Amino acid sequence: MTVSGRIVSRGALALVPRSTEEVRPTIWFCGHCGASPPLPGPPATNARVCRTCGLGLLLETVADAAPEAGGAFLVLDRSLSVCAVSSGAERLLATPETEAINRHVTELLVSAESEVSGPSNLAAAVSHAARGDEELRTAFVRPANLFGVRMRVRIVCCGPPQAALLVFDPPARN
Amino acid sequence: MRYLKTSEAAALLNVSPNTLRAWERRFGFPKPQRSPGRHRLFTHGEVASLRDALQEGLSISSAVSRAREGLATDTNSLIGALVSYEAERADAAMESALALRSLERSVEEVLLPSLEEIVGRQTVDSAAWAFAAHWGADWLRRATRLAPAPVRPVSIVLGDASRDELDLDCCFIRALELFCVRAGANVLSLSVRGVVGISDAVAVHRPNLVVIAGGHLGDDAVARWAYAVRLAAGAMPVAVYRRGPQRARMRTTGTSVLPSGASEAQQRLLELVEADQGGRSTRVTMESPYGIQTGRRTASM
Repeated sequence: MTVSGRIVSRGALALVPRSTEEVRPTIWFCGHCGASPPLPGPPATNARVCRTCGLGLLLETVADAAPEAGGAFLVLDRSLSVCAVSSGAERLLATPETEAINRHVTELLVSAESEVSGPSNLAAAVSHAARGDEELRTAFVRPANLFGVRMRVRIVCCGPPQAALLVFDPPARN
Repeated sequence: MRYLKTSEAAALLNVSPNTLRAWERRFGFPKPQRSPGRHRLFTHGEVASLRDALQEGLSISSAVSRAREGLATDTNSLIGALVSYEAERADAAMESALALRSLERSVEEVLLPSLEEIVGRQTVDSAAWAFAAHWGADWLRRATRLAPAPVRPVSIVLGDASRDELDLDCCFIRALELFCVRAGANVLSLSVRGVVGISDAVAVHRPNLVVIAGGHLGDDAVARWAYAVRLAAGAMPVAVYRRGPQRARMRTTGTSVLPSGASEAQQRLLELVEADQGGRSTRVTMESPYGIQTGRRTASM
């Protein structure tokens, strides 16, 4: 850059301070079958339908919380309404996705730890995740109409648009 | 209205035609109509609203739900206009419904459900229902007058046994009449109260089938009218529509009971006529070489 005939070096743009936090890798997965798309990277906005099953939209989440293909998981929005139910969760909860959509999550799942409060609480964890919090939380839940069952769920954000992802851990890992 | 073939709709949604058919099976949306060659025809409005919902959705189910909600606003705006006694706004609501659907689906998914909702909310003797019923019957009559001329060799006499315009059945009967006319049939709609001179009407119209519709008038009045029609026109298939809870088929008379949905009823009517015409031609070919009657009518008056 030349200012009044002399050359000065251009200052580095550092409007945002560097963060020490590591960027966590993310992956895309189908909101119905859980399969990852064959091509890496984000899909086009108008091409988010899963090419594998055709029944789900591709969503992004942090890699270490992503569901496995065929796994059981739910997607909830900020108001705790069910937005997507995977085929595995349909089998696990014996509820087809078309009937679960737009219902409040407590109609399907309730916390199996009634004494838990604070950010570990199911509703609080889902709300945090639906607001875009990438921190992975876990909770224990049971189907709303079933007692004596405890299932561990991992709760993390996903999107777009921003939502909470509840991934049921396989029974062997409980 | 603009219709899209399966491949065109799939291209607009950026999915394969198989995926689109899978959505139709699983979600019942987008709901295609069928061309005369039985090919799927999607309305552009439904596909476009689904495409928009998909771009902001978290799942196909939620996108379908959102697209459906968008289409349901027509029903809400029609109800709002009718209970506010605003005929022009009601016309506009139907116009916007017609932009997204065929006329048949607009009537079945917007007009008739709106009228049912109003009569359920306001009771039959309310002013709001009187206005809505009059507007609905008028709209259906206008649409019938604008329908193309009959193209099928099918003639139907429709005996109206509803009470009057304030009877909800009346709107369903007008809808059935409209659908039959639009399907190319020639329809003569008469009140079953008018028995005198029915032979003249039947001689002019020469029906293939008689429909008795509406549940207000009693069996005596209906039977008197049906007997007069039979005397004038001879035996022919008879179907009843919205005459209260009845068996699917009356064993003693052979009368068919039509589904309560106007569109389904219209399809069933055409099937009955075709079956009867097919039966007649079969009987003719079987009778002609030997002059022996081998066919037997199963659905006759």
